[in-house]
Amino acid sequence: MFGYVRPLVPELKVKEFERFRACYCGLCHELGREYGAAGRSILNYDFVFLSMLLWGGRDSCDYCHRRCLPGLFRKKCVCASAPALTVAAGYSVILAYWKAVDNRDDSRGAKKLLSRAVCLLLKRPYKKAAGLYPAFDKSVRERLDGLHALETANCPSLDRAADQFALLLSSASGAAGEDSRRVLEQLLYHVGRIVYIADAYADLREDLKDGRYNPVAARYGLTAASPDDGTRESVRETLLSSVDLAAAALALLPKSYWTPVTENIVLLGLPDMIDHVLAGTYVTAGKRLPKRPQLGQNGE
Amino acid sequence: MQDPYKVLGVSSTASDEEIKKAYRELAKKYHPDNYVDNPLSDLAQEKMKEINEAYDTITRSRKNGGQSSSSGGYSSGYSSGWSGGSAYQQANSAYAQIRSAINAGNLQYAEQMLDSCPTRDAEWNFLMGSLYYRKGWLDDARSFFQRAVSMDPSNGEYRQALNMMNGAGSPYRQTGYGPPAQQGGCDMCDMCTAMMCANMMCGGCR
Repeated sequence: MFGYVRPLVPELKVKEFERFRACYCGLCHELGREYGAAGRSILNYDFVFLSMLLWGGRDSCDYCHRRCLPGLFRKKCVCASAPALTVAAGYSVILAYWKAVDNRDDSRGAKKLLSRAVCLLLKRPYKKAAGLYPAFDKSVRERLDGLHALETANCPSLDRAADQFALLLSSASGAAGEDSRRVLEQLLYHVGRIVYIADAYADLREDLKDGRYNPVAARYGLTAASPDDGTRESVRETLLSSVDLAAAALALLPKSYWTPVTENIVLLGLPDMIDHVLAGTYVTAGKRLPKRPQLGQNGE
Repeated sequence: MQDPYKVLGVSSTASDEEIKKAYRELAKKYHPDNYVDNPLSDLAQEKMKEINEAYDTITRSRKNGGQSSSSGGYSSGYSSGWSGGSAYQQANSAYAQIRSAINAGNLQYAEQMLDSCPTRDAEWNFLMGSLYYRKGWLDDARSFFQRAVSMDPSNGEYRQALNMMNGAGSPYRQTGYGPPAQQGGCDMCDMCTAMMCANMMCGGCR
């Protein structure tokens, strides 16, 4: 469910792209410092976006030079630790842990063993993060439980299922300042809705093969993995309506250092991602992202 | 009060033309039409007011300073907000109450009222659609709007709502690399749609 929220890189200015990369590296270092190698492995674009949103009205960013595995021989310019990065790192650990627990309970065979190992590795980082952000931890647990109940009941409403994940993500707005919390809540709600539905669409083939619950299949009564044009357009419409609402919310956030990048992500990155997911050509990019086999196979 | 130049995002040495351009862009961005039925519409209205005031302040001070000013266009602004939709006649008082509850963001109450309604007519479907739109449940909202339109195809308000769900008048569409589509201009038809959309939910809030 990760890696859907990213900029449309060709439309970024070079300086904006370098900033974005520095933020990505900054979050990676933050995860490494606070939660060790296991924490670092869960780095994803979605939480880079979140840290940029939580930046607040600050119009600057401190940079420093760091070495890391991909940049072993030449130090890279990365964002220095900032409150927004710390919070985003903690949140991503909490979410990754509960997703891993979910996977462990749902899967069978070799996959179960694998996800059990992931759970064990994330246990300690999770304990630390949950101690720091108990409110977010609680809301993630509640929402994933809610989602689980809807999945078991084979919920036919796409919105009802997406609502749980959207509310989960929008609870991350609790870390924002008073002035922008309401706006961020709405923005993250719709980003969460988009991610959930797009991910469901991308997983259609796999879910139908394994007989798992899939909200898109349940909503449109699909039994074959290739939906007809009408279904595809209906999904596109509902996703683009969410993009509209996310964009309207984004316009109300105070301008910050990251505004050019976040605007690119919402106005261009999300629609582009939607086009690719619906065309079946979406590949969760970035070799540094956690490899998820079911996401890697959508490119056919 | 904030520095009016900062509000418009221009330098204090900017020409009148530049200021007007910046103002127009912002006014387009925060226009009430983009926030119809949006839970954040009050914030957008505030922002719009801020922009209007800043623009007025600048044009006034420049006029007094002896500089030529080509004020006009939007200068009267949208600061007055939406008019109360006086033309709207509501026969059913329960529906009127639900409408104002949705407008006020009191969604739980509106949902209870709608659940207890005995009839499931076009208006009921339309209000359900509005409620779900406000909640962000856009797929269900669309289904309800569609049902409202099919039950009463002559109602312009229902049709506008459905058009809005289909992205008509959205300022954010068609900017990506997706399937090519023509860039949205603003012809009379769009304006008309936009005004009707703005008027759509005004019925209950008088």
